[in-house]
Amino acid sequence: MVLHDQSLPIYELKEVVKSREAEGYGFRLRVPALRIFPGEKIALIGESGCGKSTLLDMLAFVLQPTSCDTFRFQVEKRPQDIAKAWKRHRLNRLADLRRRHLGYVMQTGGLLPYLTVRENMSLSRRVLGMKDDGTVDSLARELGLQRHLNKLPGELSTGERQRVAIGRALAHHPAIVIADEPTASVDPFAAEKIMSLFMEMVEARNITVIVASHAWRHIKRLGLRRLSHHTRRSGDGQMAETVVNG
Amino acid sequence: MIFGRWRQALTLATRDYFHEWQISVCFVLALAAVLGPMMVLFGLKFGIVGSMIDELRQDPAKREIRPVGSGHYDRAWIETLARRRDVAFVVPRVRAIAATMDVGSNHAGRILQLEVIPSANGDPLLPAGTPPPSGMRQVVLSASAARKLQVSAGDGLDGSLERRYLGRRERVHLPLTVVGVVPARYFSRDALFASVQLTEALEDFRDGHQVPALGWRGSRAGQRHYTGFRLYARSIYDVAGLEAAFEKSGVKVHTQAADIELVRRMDRTLSAIYWAIALIGLTGFSLSLGASLWANVDRKRRELAVLRLVGFRTGEIVWFPLAQSVYTAVLGWALAVVIYRAAAWGINLMLAPQLDAAQQVCRLLPFHYGVALALTLTASVTAALLAGLRAARVEPSEGLREL
Ligand SMILES: Nc1ncnc2c1ncn2[C@@H]1O[C@H](COP(=O)(O)OP(=O)(O)OP(=O)(O)O)[C@@H](O)[C@H]1O
Ligand SMILES: [Mg+2]
Repeated sequence: MVLHDQSLPIYELKEVVKSREAEGYGFRLRVPALRIFPGEKIALIGESGCGKSTLLDMLAFVLQPTSCDTFRFQVEKRPQDIAKAWKRHRLNRLADLRRRHLGYVMQTGGLLPYLTVRENMSLSRRVLGMKDDGTVDSLARELGLQRHLNKLPGELSTGERQRVAIGRALAHHPAIVIADEPTASVDPFAAEKIMSLFMEMVEARNITVIVASHAWRHIKRLGLRRLSHHTRRSGDGQMAETVVNG
Repeated sequence: MIFGRWRQALTLATRDYFHEWQISVCFVLALAAVLGPMMVLFGLKFGIVGSMIDELRQDPAKREIRPVGSGHYDRAWIETLARRRDVAFVVPRVRAIAATMDVGSNHAGRILQLEVIPSANGDPLLPAGTPPPSGMRQVVLSASAARKLQVSAGDGLDGSLERRYLGRRERVHLPLTVVGVVPARYFSRDALFASVQLTEALEDFRDGHQVPALGWRGSRAGQRHYTGFRLYARSIYDVAGLEAAFEKSGVKVHTQAADIELVRRMDRTLSAIYWAIALIGLTGFSLSLGASLWANVDRKRRELAVLRLVGFRTGEIVWFPLAQSVYTAVLGWALAVVIYRAAAWGINLMLAPQLDAAQQVCRLLPFHYGVALALTLTASVTAALLAGLRAARVEPSEGLREL
């Protein structure tokens, strides 16, 4: 991968807003300004419902912002105007960017139940047409999944599934990995272990990482930059707005 | 590369389809449960009406047009009839009382008096391969006559006939050769088929005229007139038109037009009933297939969202539900064919005693199987395509967090 000038941000967002409405209750996420540079380790910490997933989904190009001034993404030489791509409904352009540059670890695995662990981990490589070069096996070893490679996800524990999801997000050597509470569904002890392992692995691969979590305690020890945010609620509790800066 | 991801989407769809085999089996069963009975229904309609029409078509008697009573026709008029496009075969007939012959054989003790029927090349009563009687010596026998005389093709016969001439009884003998036998299902009475020339000779002899070809004495014959004709329409569909044409020119005829019309009306009625049922069935079938495939795509939203998350494009995602719907369509159709075959076998077996060997009450042509498959594929691919496009169009984040 040809990395571009390290001083240019990968993500550059200005006045990006996502509004959601559900049964009279409104939620708004506003990002006045956000820049994420190559190699940065970003943490997004906040209580449940404050909009972490909303922001991560926008950063993964799977959720369209309601409005935005600037939404640029740059991994290769040419900066990509995400705002324009959404406006023009260029879903395939966004899919191409996701495929090449992003790894995504979801709150709940998101594995395909009909593929074995090995095939699930290879999925991100296969869609890029990458040959099997031992990456998956070494990832499995690091994640402690060698024994499970030929099992189906249904035969794994939640923590194991979460580790498979991490493997899939890393297998195709993405520039950025986004993880939405990757350890939310496992016990705190396992969570800490998985999170440390995950951070070690991205560190070793020099991958830009953005993690959402509601537990700051152990994240702090891992040396992540925390995005500042605050949530305001209207007097009647009908509206909530989260503002994220960083 | 792009082709590679299509193939991957197909592979994934296949894996998923067989991984969830219980659900796939349900879809296939649901499809076959609607399609199978529809095929049986159509098979019945096609088989019943088809065998009735076949019977009409194959039985030359249904195409016969007989003049009622005796008329007065000359050769030129018969020849104009022969040139009509809706006429397959026509020969003139001499007076019925003149057209008989006494026939004996070496094998049978009895002399039979046989009705002599004029025949010629193209006579629908002659089975394929039987040469038409020609000249003064060759004849074809009806099956019952051949049985009574105990002769078959190639055997000789002794024909004779008698007249009162110049106040005396006179009998002449005529050696004949049997060149063929008309099967009983085409002609059941005792009869002898002869050339028109020979029937004319019989009439001339009885009228006291000379027949130089056979050395029979008598006066010179005058202008010949016929009292009737044997006529067959080209097809059963020409019978009604010919009948009308004869009635218009003042010739009263007897036909099977009423029978034919009855069957054709039954065909139309059965077809109308069938199409009404088929239309309702097809609508229900498309709706149920469409709904289940649509629901399936909806159920798959999370997995499709995961595929989009790892970077599959819209056009590639659509292959996923498409491939699965094609599997359902083809397997469902195959099961429906099995159901149909079993039902048809049962029905045909049950009704076999009432039927000829070749007849089938429930019958479909390979073409019909093809149409059923094409319809099923069209309905299912359309439903899956619509549902798949819809799934691929919404934001990928939707569906990602379902469950
Ligand atoms: N599809 C949706 N339609 C309407 N409102 C939504 C939708 N998804 C989320 N919301 C609302 O947006 C707000 C932010 O949701 P989000 O999922 O981003 O929270 P979160 O910070 O990720 O929470 P958690 O830590 O529980 O995952 C919530 O109040 C939620 O009710
Ligand atoms: Mg969340």
